[in-house]
Amino acid sequence: MTDRAKIAINAFKEQIDGAVSAYLSSCVHCGLCAHACLFFNETGDPRYTPIHKLEPLRRVWWSEYTLFGKLALLVGLAPKVTEELLAEWQELTYNACSLCGRCSMVCPVGNDIAGMIRKQREGMVAAGYSPDGLKGASTRAVKIGSPMGVTWKAVAAQIGHVENDTGLQIPVDKDGADYLVLMSSMEIMNYPEYLEAIARIFSEAGVSWTLSSQAFEATNSGIQIGSSDIARELVSRIVAAAEKLGVKTVISPECGHAYTALRWDGPNLIGRPYKFKARHILEVLDELRAAGKLKTEGFEEERMTFHDPCQLVRRGGVLEQPRRLVKMVVKDFVDMPEAGKMNWCCGAGGGVSAIEEAGELKLTAFNAKKRQLEAVKPDKLITACANCRIQLEEGLEENNMDIPVIGLTELLAEHLVETGKAEG
Amino acid sequence: MAEIKNEAAFRQALDGLALADQRKAGALFVRAVLPLIEDERVAGAVEVAAKGGSDEALAAAFQGARRASIDWHTRCGAEGDWKEQAAYFVARAAAACVAPPGHVKSGNPAWQAAVNARMARTSVAIDEDGTAVRENEAQYRLLGEFLKA
Repeated sequence: MTDRAKIAINAFKEQIDGAVSAYLSSCVHCGLCAHACLFFNETGDPRYTPIHKLEPLRRVWWSEYTLFGKLALLVGLAPKVTEELLAEWQELTYNACSLCGRCSMVCPVGNDIAGMIRKQREGMVAAGYSPDGLKGASTRAVKIGSPMGVTWKAVAAQIGHVENDTGLQIPVDKDGADYLVLMSSMEIMNYPEYLEAIARIFSEAGVSWTLSSQAFEATNSGIQIGSSDIARELVSRIVAAAEKLGVKTVISPECGHAYTALRWDGPNLIGRPYKFKARHILEVLDELRAAGKLKTEGFEEERMTFHDPCQLVRRGGVLEQPRRLVKMVVKDFVDMPEAGKMNWCCGAGGGVSAIEEAGELKLTAFNAKKRQLEAVKPDKLITACANCRIQLEEGLEENNMDIPVIGLTELLAEHLVETGKAEG
Repeated sequence: MAEIKNEAAFRQALDGLALADQRKAGALFVRAVLPLIEDERVAGAVEVAAKGGSDEALAAAFQGARRASIDWHTRCGAEGDWKEQAAYFVARAAAACVAPPGHVKSGNPAWQAAVNARMARTSVAIDEDGTAVRENEAQYRLLGEFLKA
């Protein structure tokens, strides 16, 4: 057995706990997960059946932890985990899985298949079988602080831009602020309107908030590539900054997996509870709405729908908040079929967007979203994840569908009642 | 019309323009940053906005500029290049100039063109590790001249 295969096997063994063993031993081979997966559904390729994507992990579990598997291993009949297998499964584990979790929802025996793919990635990355795009993003995240190489200098420039356009002051490193606002590199680079929207909304709401020059980036490449060590390092930076500033709540931006990383995985990664609350921006905005601190005026005249980011809704439970917020400013709101918990992924989550060679596959996967949209024929599409947003824009363009896409925070800011009481 | 010296006066003047003039003013802002992109679709859209084309011409120009903005964006997780990002913002500014009304945030193409042109300059400043050119002041002057003409 080669060294790389050994490394992968050992890493898989570290991931196989009671839950994984129970999941793999209770799979009834029904195939329901196949039809829940947009990559299988849109390509018809049986290799994309979610449980099949777990073959390397399953082989290790069977040969190491089951009686028949151990016997088969003794007599050399157990199917092996080889470099060839790992190389072949790299595409299935990364390019063809957005960790959307739809497969986990339909499994009749309750297997968290997406959770196991995440664990399989630990072994793949340990043995060097992960895509170059994700390796680069993870390296930049650790070394520079952003998967896209965004530095604080760039954030400061954007702050200047927003301050200039709005006349508001963006607070930085403010001790004792109620909220620490994080951003994603996508928002810094492609959607600067997010920061402007936050500044305007928070100013009107009169809340105390700040950015941190030590931790501005919310995204977590460690979660995507499947390295808990990297994920832990990235979360730890946010925790250190938040606790140093003494903030009460850290706000995850309009980014799906950043929310998963910060809210759900973070405390487990660092091995203790946070000393602050972790919330998605939509949760915070909904709290402000309920407290009467978010006031809007006017309504969109067009028919609009909402794309649920998987990590936010299916994996995160933030289902009603976006709908309550949307209805503040949209009269003709319509949900797509299968919206909410069973929504179809945009096709680019879980690190897929960072993998250049997955470009064609992710646009094929977008066809599920296309059908959902065709069913309700919206004039505009709202979402709450910058990565979903760019994939939606690309997919719509590719399919000649003339539907503008807007972030929900930005949409709310468009309708904000501004009294000019502005205080950063 | 008094000289435009601040953001409030700038916004007010833009809001006072008819849609066709908003497109023309937006085209002026984009032309100032047009050297930051080499893309015929974007240059073409600016020309259509400046000349005031038919609905069909505007729609075709919008399609081209919007496609350009998608082509120039930085992929999530990819290494950012602020020079290319400047081009992305110029493409967004050009698209705003020729966009159908429902496609423009705040309903004012000139304002959207202005803010995206400013972000293009900011991107160049980040790339060159320099100080951002005060594009807003250049835009005040351009708008003032446009209103006088």
